[in-house]
Amino acid sequence: MIDLREATKKYDDGPPALAGVTLSVAAGECLAVLGHSGSGKSTLLNLIAGLDRPSSGTVTVNGTRVDRLGEAGSAKYRRASIGMIFQFFNLLDDLTVLDNVLVPAQLAGMGKAEAKRRSAELLGSLGIDRHAKAYPQRLSGGQRQRVAVARALMNRPALLLADEPTGALDSHSAEDVRRLLLDLNAEGQTILLVTHDVALAASTAHRTIELVDGAVARDVVNDAARGDASLTTPANAAVTGPAGAVR
Amino acid sequence: MSALGKVVRSGVGRRRVQSFVMALTTLAAVTSSVLSLGLLTVVQSPFDHAFAKRDAAHLAVQFDGAKATAAQAAATAHAAGVTEAAGPYPITTALDSVIGPDCTESIGPGMTFANTAAPPVTVTTRPNLTAGTGLDQIVLDQGAWPTGPNQIVLNNWPSDCLGKSVVFSALPGKPSFKVVGFANSLTDTATGWTTADGFARLTGAGAKTDAQMLYRFAAAGTDARIAADRQAVAAAAPAGSVEGAQSYLTARTQATGNAKSFVPFLIVFGVLGLFLSVLIIAIVVSGAVVSGIRRIGILKSLGFTPGQVARAYAAQALIPATIGVVGGTVFGNLLAVPVLKGTSNDLGAGGATIPVWVSLLVPLGTLAIVALTAMIPALRAGRLPAVQTLVVGRAPRAERGRAAQRLAARLPLPRSISLGLAQPFARPARTALVGAAVLFGAVSVTFAMGLETGFSKFQDQRGAGFNAASLIVVPTSEDPEQGGPPGGMYGPNDPRTPHLDAAKVSAALASVPGTKAAFGWGDSGASVVGAPTGDMTTVDTVSGDFSWTGMELISGRWYSGPGEAVISDRLATAMGTHVGDAVTVVQEGEPLTLKIVGVAFDTHDSGRSVLVDSATFAAAGLTPRIDQFNVELASGVSGPDWAASAAVALSPLHADVDSNQSGNASNVVVVMSALVATLSLMLLAVAALGVLNTVVQDTRERIHDLGIFKALGMTPRQTVAMVLTSVALTGLIAGLIGVPIGTALEKATLTPMGNAVGMHLPPSVTDTYSLGLVLPLLAGGVVIALLGALLPAGWAARSRTATALRTE
Repeated sequence: MIDLREATKKYDDGPPALAGVTLSVAAGECLAVLGHSGSGKSTLLNLIAGLDRPSSGTVTVNGTRVDRLGEAGSAKYRRASIGMIFQFFNLLDDLTVLDNVLVPAQLAGMGKAEAKRRSAELLGSLGIDRHAKAYPQRLSGGQRQRVAVARALMNRPALLLADEPTGALDSHSAEDVRRLLLDLNAEGQTILLVTHDVALAASTAHRTIELVDGAVARDVVNDAARGDASLTTPANAAVTGPAGAVR
Repeated sequence: MSALGKVVRSGVGRRRVQSFVMALTTLAAVTSSVLSLGLLTVVQSPFDHAFAKRDAAHLAVQFDGAKATAAQAAATAHAAGVTEAAGPYPITTALDSVIGPDCTESIGPGMTFANTAAPPVTVTTRPNLTAGTGLDQIVLDQGAWPTGPNQIVLNNWPSDCLGKSVVFSALPGKPSFKVVGFANSLTDTATGWTTADGFARLTGAGAKTDAQMLYRFAAAGTDARIAADRQAVAAAAPAGSVEGAQSYLTARTQATGNAKSFVPFLIVFGVLGLFLSVLIIAIVVSGAVVSGIRRIGILKSLGFTPGQVARAYAAQALIPATIGVVGGTVFGNLLAVPVLKGTSNDLGAGGATIPVWVSLLVPLGTLAIVALTAMIPALRAGRLPAVQTLVVGRAPRAERGRAAQRLAARLPLPRSISLGLAQPFARPARTALVGAAVLFGAVSVTFAMGLETGFSKFQDQRGAGFNAASLIVVPTSEDPEQGGPPGGMYGPNDPRTPHLDAAKVSAALASVPGTKAAFGWGDSGASVVGAPTGDMTTVDTVSGDFSWTGMELISGRWYSGPGEAVISDRLATAMGTHVGDAVTVVQEGEPLTLKIVGVAFDTHDSGRSVLVDSATFAAAGLTPRIDQFNVELASGVSGPDWAASAAVALSPLHADVDSNQSGNASNVVVVMSALVATLSLMLLAVAALGVLNTVVQDTRERIHDLGIFKALGMTPRQTVAMVLTSVALTGLIAGLIGVPIGTALEKATLTPMGNAVGMHLPPSVTDTYSLGLVLPLLAGGVVIALLGALLPAGWAARSRTATALRTE
C-alpha cells in the first residue's frame, strides 16, 4: 500500500527533516509512527498525503508515485486515496456536520444521491447522525473527531492518515476514538497513525516505527494484545531492530 | 532610528502592495484635485480680480443710431435692475481694415505687412478714456493714448506695426490712422479707441454711428440673469433699436473657456479619488490592525503605549499617502502646463502655473483626511488589551453566514462555487468594502467611457458640416513670385483676393463623373453687429445643398427663404441670440438684417459664424463670396482619378482640386481624452488593488480553511474558482449600482464642459451610452472584482497545505 524508498526532505540549509527513510506498509495494516517533536513524523505524513514532495527518493501509495504528482494531481490523489484526521479535527466551523462530511464527495463530483446515502451511512455507523444539522463548535471533542473520521472516509479512501487523533481529547474520548480506529482497521482499512503516545501506538497499530532526527530508529511489531491494551500502560512492544530490518 | 520608527518602517515594508495602493490612490485624488482647483483659480480668479479692479461692465449694448437717439440710449440707465451705467458712447462696428503701406516690416521671405488684411475694428471714443475711473476702464498695454484726430489705439494689431498706419479700406476715401498704442477692454466692448475728432473723421467718411451703453446690474451671475437684464434695457429703449449686446460672461468664457472645460470632469475624478483614498486607507489600516493583533499584543508587552501603537499604525498609512500626495501635487502641476497653454494672459494676472496655495491646500487637506481615516482603526489598535491580543492572536470569528452556506450547499453548483458564493455573508463588513471599491471602480469606468465616447463623437462632429468633404475645390493659388497675391494676406473684400464663380464651378462639378454632392461656401467679409470682438466671427455665404454634410441643428430649422440665416451655436450663445431674433450683418458698410431661423452645431473655423444663402446676399445687393467647394465622391471613386478629370473642367474657372485639410481633431479634446484615460485607469487600478488587498486579507485569515479544503482534495483550479466566486457576486451588484451612477455623473459633466466653451452639445454627441457599451459596463464590476481577486486566488491555490493546516 505504502512504499517509501530513501525518502529525504530538506528545508533550506538545515539538517533534513526526513533522512532517507525506506518504509513499506501493507494493505489492511495499521502502522503507528512515533517520535518526539521535530522528529519528522509530520513530514512523513505530509509526503504520504501528497501535501509535500520529497527532496529525493520516492513515495508510492496504492501504486501511485505521489512524489511525481503536481498540485492538481495531488489533490485528486487525496480525494481518491487518502482520508485524513487531525489532532484539532480541522472541521469547517461555518458548515454543519453533514455539510462537512459531504465536502470531499462534492469536490470529487460524487452523485448527490450516492453522497447522501454514504454520508447517512457513515454518520449512522459512527453514532453522530443526530448531530447532522449541528455545527462542529456545538459538539464535544470526541464527537468532532468522529465527524472528522466520517469526512475522511466519505470517498472510501485506501489509506487513512491519522495525525495525533487523540491529542486534543480527554481520556474517555481518546479511548472512544482508539476503538473506532481499531474497528476500521478490523474492517480492512489501512491506517497510518502519527502519534507521540507510545501506549496509543502499541494498543492500536500492528506495527510501530519510531523516528529520531528524521530517520527510522526503531521498527517494532506489536503483540497480539492490540485492542485490549490499556492506554495508560506501556505497550507490549518487541523491538526488532533498525529501519527495514523486520519487513 | 527610534523603536517606533522601526515598527513603522517594518510595517510599511511588510505591506508593500497595500502601501503602493495607498500611494496610487492618493496620487490620483491629489492630481485631479490640484488640477481642477488650480485651473478654476488660474483661469477665473484673474478675470474676476480684473473685472472688479477695472470696474468692467456686465453688459455692453449697442443701439442702432438710426432708431434711438443718444438721449433715448442714455435713458436706459434707469432700466430695471441697472445699478450703474455709462454712455452713450459713439461706436462704429467692424470696420474692414488693412495694414498701411508704411509698415514695411517683413512677415516672411519677400513679404511685408504693408497692405495686408487686418481684423475688422470696432471703434469707439470716450471722453474719459485715459481717466482710469468709471465703467470699463481701458488698459493701455503699449504705446500712448491718441491725442489727435489721426491717431488710434487698437487691440489686435501686429506689434511690428506699432507707429504705422491702419487703413479702413471699406470706407469711402479709405481713411487712415496712425496706430499709437495697444489697449484692451476686459469685456471686449471695442477693439479701437480714438479721439472724438478721430471718430468724426470715420463718420465723415461714411461709417455708421451707433450708441453704446455700458451697464452693471444688481443680479448678473448667470446667462439667464443677463438675458433678463438685456430684456429690461431693450424694453426701456425704442423698439428694435438694440442692435447687439455683449455679456461679460461671454468675455469670461472666451478668456477661460478651454481651461474651464476641464474643470467639471476633474472635479468628479477628484471626488472619486478622495473617496477611494479614504476607502482604501480604511481597508488597509483596519486590515493591518485585524491581521496584526498578535503583533500589537507583542508591541504592548514590550512597553509600547496605546498612543505609540496608534501612531505606528496611522504612520504606516501616512507614509505612502504622503508619497502619493507629493507625487500628485507635482503631477497636477505638470499637467496644468499643457492645459493652461494658450490661456489668455490679457487679464494681467493669469499665468500658466497653478498657484502655490492650491499646491499646499490640496495636499495638506488630503493628508488631514487620510490621517483622520487612518486614526480611527489605529486608535482601535491602541485600545486593544495586550493580554487579549496575545491570547486570541486574531480577530474572533463571528458566526455569520451560516444560513448562506446552508443555502449555497443546496444549489446545483460545483461545491467550490457554492462555497465561494456563501463566503461574502460570513464577513459582511469586508464584503461592503470590496463592494465599495468595485463600485468606485465601476463608476469611474462608466464615467470615463461615457466621456471618451462623447469626446470621440465630438471629434466626429468636427469632421461634419463645412469640414466634411472627400476633396475640396479652391481658387487657383497664384505664385507670389509671379506677381500673384500671397494666400490669406488680404481680406475677403479685397479685390486681390480670388473667389470662385459659384454657378460655373457648381455646373462643372456636376459634369464630372463620380461627383456625388457638392456645395460652395466662403467668408463674405461681412461682420456681425454685436458679436464678441475677442474671437473671429464670420458670415459665410453658402451656395448649394449641404444637408449631406451631417451638420446638426441645435434648435430651429435650416434657412429656406430670403432674409433667413442660421447661426452657429457658439456665436448664438456669445451674443445671447435665439431662434426668431434678428442679427445685422455689415458688408463693406452695407447692413443687412437677417432673421435667425436655426442654431447649428457648427465647429468649423472658430465655431462662430452666421450661415446665409448666397441668394439672400445677392437679393440684398451684397456680394456673396464662395472660396471653397466641398465635394463628396460617390463610393468606389478614386480621389486622384476624379481630381484628374475634374481638373480639366475646373482649370478654365481658375479652380483647383485640393485635399481636405480641415476637420482635424481638437487638441483640447485630445488632451482631455488622455487625461480622462489616465485618471480613470489610475482609479480602476486602485479599485482593483483595493479588492486585491481585501481578498489578500481575507485569504490570509482563511488560510487554515483553505488548507482543510486542499487536504480534502480541492484542486488549485477549484481553489481559484472558490476565491473568485467569493467576490463575483459582490462585483456584479456593485457594477449594477455603479453604472447608473457613472452614467448620471457623465450626464451632469459633459454638458457643462461644452457650456464652458459656449457650446450646447447636440444629442449626437451627448447620447453616449449605447446598449453595446452599457452591457459590457454592467459586467465591469465583476471584471474589476475578478481582476482584484485573481492574484490572491492564485496565491491561495499555491499555498502549502501543510503550512496552512498548521496555521491557527
